[in-house]
Amino acid sequence: MPVIETFELSRQFGDRIAVDNLNISVNAGEIVGLLGPNGAGKTTTIRMLAGMIAPTKGYAVVSGHRTDRNVEKLHETIGLLTETQGFYARLSARRNLEYFANFYQNVNPKIQVEKYLKITGLWDRRNDRVGTFSKGMKQRLALARALLHEPQVIFLDEPTSGLDPEAAGEIRQIIRSLRQAGRTIFLCTHNLYEAELICNRVAVINTRLLALDTVEQLRKRFFRHQIIIRLENLSDGLVSTVKSLPFVKEMLQENDTLILQLNNPENDRTELIRKIIEAGGRVVTVTDRQYPLEDIYLKLVREESGHGP
Amino acid sequence: MVLKRLQNIIIKEWQVLFTDLNSALMITILPLLIVGQGVLYIWLAFRFGGEEMLTTGLFRNAVENFSNVTPQIQHLTEKEQLIVFLLHQFNFFLLLIPIMVAVSVSTFSIVEEKTTGSLEALLATPVHTWELLLGKALSGAIPALIVTWYSAGVYLLAINALGWGHLIGHVTTVTWYLTLFLMTPAVTMLSFMLGVIGSAKAKDAKSAQNLVIVIILPILALIAVQVTGVIWFTPILTAVLALVIVFVDIIVLRIAVNLFHRESILTEWH
Repeated sequence: MPVIETFELSRQFGDRIAVDNLNISVNAGEIVGLLGPNGAGKTTTIRMLAGMIAPTKGYAVVSGHRTDRNVEKLHETIGLLTETQGFYARLSARRNLEYFANFYQNVNPKIQVEKYLKITGLWDRRNDRVGTFSKGMKQRLALARALLHEPQVIFLDEPTSGLDPEAAGEIRQIIRSLRQAGRTIFLCTHNLYEAELICNRVAVINTRLLALDTVEQLRKRFFRHQIIIRLENLSDGLVSTVKSLPFVKEMLQENDTLILQLNNPENDRTELIRKIIEAGGRVVTVTDRQYPLEDIYLKLVREESGHGP
Repeated sequence: MVLKRLQNIIIKEWQVLFTDLNSALMITILPLLIVGQGVLYIWLAFRFGGEEMLTTGLFRNAVENFSNVTPQIQHLTEKEQLIVFLLHQFNFFLLLIPIMVAVSVSTFSIVEEKTTGSLEALLATPVHTWELLLGKALSGAIPALIVTWYSAGVYLLAINALGWGHLIGHVTTVTWYLTLFLMTPAVTMLSFMLGVIGSAKAKDAKSAQNLVIVIILPILALIAVQVTGVIWFTPILTAVLALVIVFVDIIVLRIAVNLFHRESILTEWH
């Protein structure tokens, strides 16, 4: 059941169109990554979905609430990690969180603050001023702040931006645990590796929606599946035999390696290996060519902006 | 819930305010300087000008007007009437304290949250705009009011110390109490609401301060009117004026809420 749905969601600033006719649907318990170049409308989309700014056309429904109406009710049910961390530097971590927790109904600030300071690994530093925290610690604290009221839908705007690999890994670990707890997460990021690692589906936008699917499906849609076979004794005869097989669509030879496209990779793969062995070939490795999300993303964005593949 | 949120905002603002030495000194020391300065001027004026001040048209007319509206001082000597007249000026001079505190404190209230980015996180909570603005105004107005009242107490002690204790009864009139406990709270809230509006509309703290100084000028006009004796504030006039300002406070809060565009704040600040 969708917990985030947009209907021709659009936003214009003066003459500039920031988001154009966005139609997306996110199911409960999913992590969806929102990808796009700078100025593609990612933050504007998140802000509209979180009820921070209103659309100029269309609308969105999050957790059953229209995001352009009665935003205070909407804010009771969603969590938002903003792009800037925004804390009161002279106050302690605990005091900062208590302040934000006190705005929610049915939240016991003391219990919730302790719970999330422990989850984010900041309990030992709870009485320290936030001004003394590293960027990674502040980001963990910001994530704790977004979760204090146990929202079922969480919007994360660049959660690991500017963090070192260790700190980014810690944030990703917390996001994974949220998915395991059944939360729905809408994640805006420039980090394609991260998106591929933790998202169930990704949406690529460049003002308008270019694609929304699982990384695997996008891979299938934009790149043909290739099998790479390295052999110990690649001869011309063996090359001819493989090329003549009816299910081999295309084949390339690079030194002792064959790069193949099959009609039906899942079904034909075993038969292919059997035929190679029967023809006297000694197989060293068989691998699938994995196109990274980056290739898919660049293909989409370049095609959209007319720069070609 | 509303009270809980207001209390939450006020306490947080105080914690932020009083952990900053400059702001803490501004609230606690500045009012005492204003009181000291006021008492010193009155003492110097009387010490070196004395009864000769009554030879000037401005003062003579002002003291005569004052004497006419406060017949209870007519049995005093001219010299004592002049002292009581000068001491009375401080009544409205006290209004300067919350105004100055408002300019220095409230102007930072929203601007600082914009620049640190905490405002976006705050606006993502279920807080209503009016709760946020009222909470911020109250958080500055309450200490400003307390400090104004203790300054009034210090002022009375200073009068006694200067040997004019027998005239205190002529200073602490009904108008004095109405000014202190009705007019001052109303003006304090107005100053802070205007300060918060300036802070919400300004691009930085400096321009917020400039904006606030301009919009609180009409309040300063009250003091000028009183000092020059153009209008003498009787108890009824003081009460009516204070009630008008309370009404203006409510209107200004509504204006502040309408002027506080969440979208502009989020999209125009980076």
